Amino acid sequence: MTTEDTSAMEAAIDRWNGIAAPNQAARAGLADHLALITAFEALRGMLGFEDEPASFEAALRAEQEKA
Amino acid sequence: MSAIAELSMTDLAGAIARGEVTALAAAEACIARIDAKDKALNAFIRLDRAEALEAARAADRKRASGGALGPLHGVPMAHKDMYYREGRVSTCGSKIRRDFVPKVTATVLERLDAAGAIDLGTLNMAEFAQNPTGHNAHFGDAHNPWNPPYCTGGSSSGSGVAVASRMVYAALGSDTGGSIRLPATICGVTGIKGTQTRVSRAGVMPLSFSMDNVGPLTRTARDAARFMAVIAGQDPKDPTSAPEPVPDYEAALTGDIRGLRIAVPQEWFFDGADDVVVTAFEAALDVLKARGAVVERISAPSLGPVCTAVAVVSRVEGATIHANWMRERAGDYAVHLSARLFGGYALPANYYLEALSLRGPLLRRFCAEALGGYDIVATPTLRTRVPTLAETDVDADPANWQRFMAVSANTRPFNYLGLPTISLPCGFDDRGLPIGLQLAGRPFAEGRVLQVADAYQRETDWHARVPG
Repeated sequence: MTTEDTSAMEAAIDRWNGIAAPNQAARAGLADHLALITAFEALRGMLGFEDEPASFEAALRAEQEKA
Repeated sequence: MSAIAELSMTDLAGAIARGEVTALAAAEACIARIDAKDKALNAFIRLDRAEALEAARAADRKRASGGALGPLHGVPMAHKDMYYREGRVSTCGSKIRRDFVPKVTATVLERLDAAGAIDLGTLNMAEFAQNPTGHNAHFGDAHNPWNPPYCTGGSSSGSGVAVASRMVYAALGSDTGGSIRLPATICGVTGIKGTQTRVSRAGVMPLSFSMDNVGPLTRTARDAARFMAVIAGQDPKDPTSAPEPVPDYEAALTGDIRGLRIAVPQEWFFDGADDVVVTAFEAALDVLKARGAVVERISAPSLGPVCTAVAVVSRVEGATIHANWMRERAGDYAVHLSARLFGGYALPANYYLEALSLRGPLLRRFCAEALGGYDIVATPTLRTRVPTLAETDVDADPANWQRFMAVSANTRPFNYLGLPTISLPCGFDDRGLPIGLQLAGRPFAEGRVLQVADAYQRETDWHARVPG
């Protein structure tokens, strides 16, 4: 985790959202987000070709207690 | 404290229906508690004293006239200040919405009104329901009724404090990452979030539309069952609400849990747990075993991806709905909130969609791992002792960030999984602060979750203890 990484994220947020870092805590929090991105990258390969968000509602119905 | 204020919500409703207690006496008992306690605890944002007393008198007149009474007739409540009531200010705990007057009334408030509940006013909360500790820079922090320098849990901070302190008999909270269950455990009361889609969110301030849940904080599991029966069920105003019929939750409270199978996942929930919490949790399991439940340790490797994906979804959705104000009024947010929202804009769109698309497959995996041969999953609600307000104050020191975020570690996974989950008191730590037991069930199995919680409360009195 480098200052260069968080600076790049801060610049990207400004470029794509027009939002500047509101305070030092926001910059500090970006390090936490970099850790999250790293963790999410570790999940690569899990998503199936047909998976989509609506599969959640289907799973809720399918996984109910059986009488 | 008056004997009336000590009753549970369902006991009070019964006493009012039988004419043993008036709604006016109950409202006056609550207001006396608020007058005595709230200056120090800061649970209320607005107390509608005169309106509540008049509503209570009207409730008593209705009973005297022989009119049909709802299941919550005459019961005083107050709710987190994010449930819209047409024409009344709903601050959402924020400076930005300090004067916001909604044009609609939340479906859940309409259902509570129809059931006869008396609305005393609005309760303190984390700003825009966005923190797990209950800090509020605009209306002041709520304070833990057991030990005021300690946090209340959030985001439904006022709801936890008001129910624990016997200022009200029940309160609505909301739960996107634990915001009902955390103040429930930290204040020593019972709190349930239903299955995702179980309760209407129409007229409720949004935070994360995929994971927001409406639910109650109450004194007992039986109270929670009554409350959920009133508010649950499909709502035409909320197209995401589920059509599944709402069973009689109170009928499930038989006390009989013989043969019921409880799984305790060994991953995630005990990482860095404090010994005093684990000890209380194990003692709670022993109580359930003594009543005939079977408890087994299991492995649920899907929790790893779940705990990562939930963070992606909540951060992106929270950031997105606040984008306009973050451009135009970032200085009007508390430091910890604008800081938390900021990082959400750095997550790529495909990551967000991938996290959402994995939700169904991961729910199926978790059910196969943890609920395939079991009825209930049990964990501590908060894996550490309750932190102080100071040591989780990010506004004062950004170095408190990790401690602040860790508070919701054990509750967040169940929001991503969408499972019905309850927290109930199961002990106290060495500083006199409550410890909570978390129980989750299969989708739409709120009745099963309540059944186990009620069975536990038949054997213990943690839920009946009142802070001094």
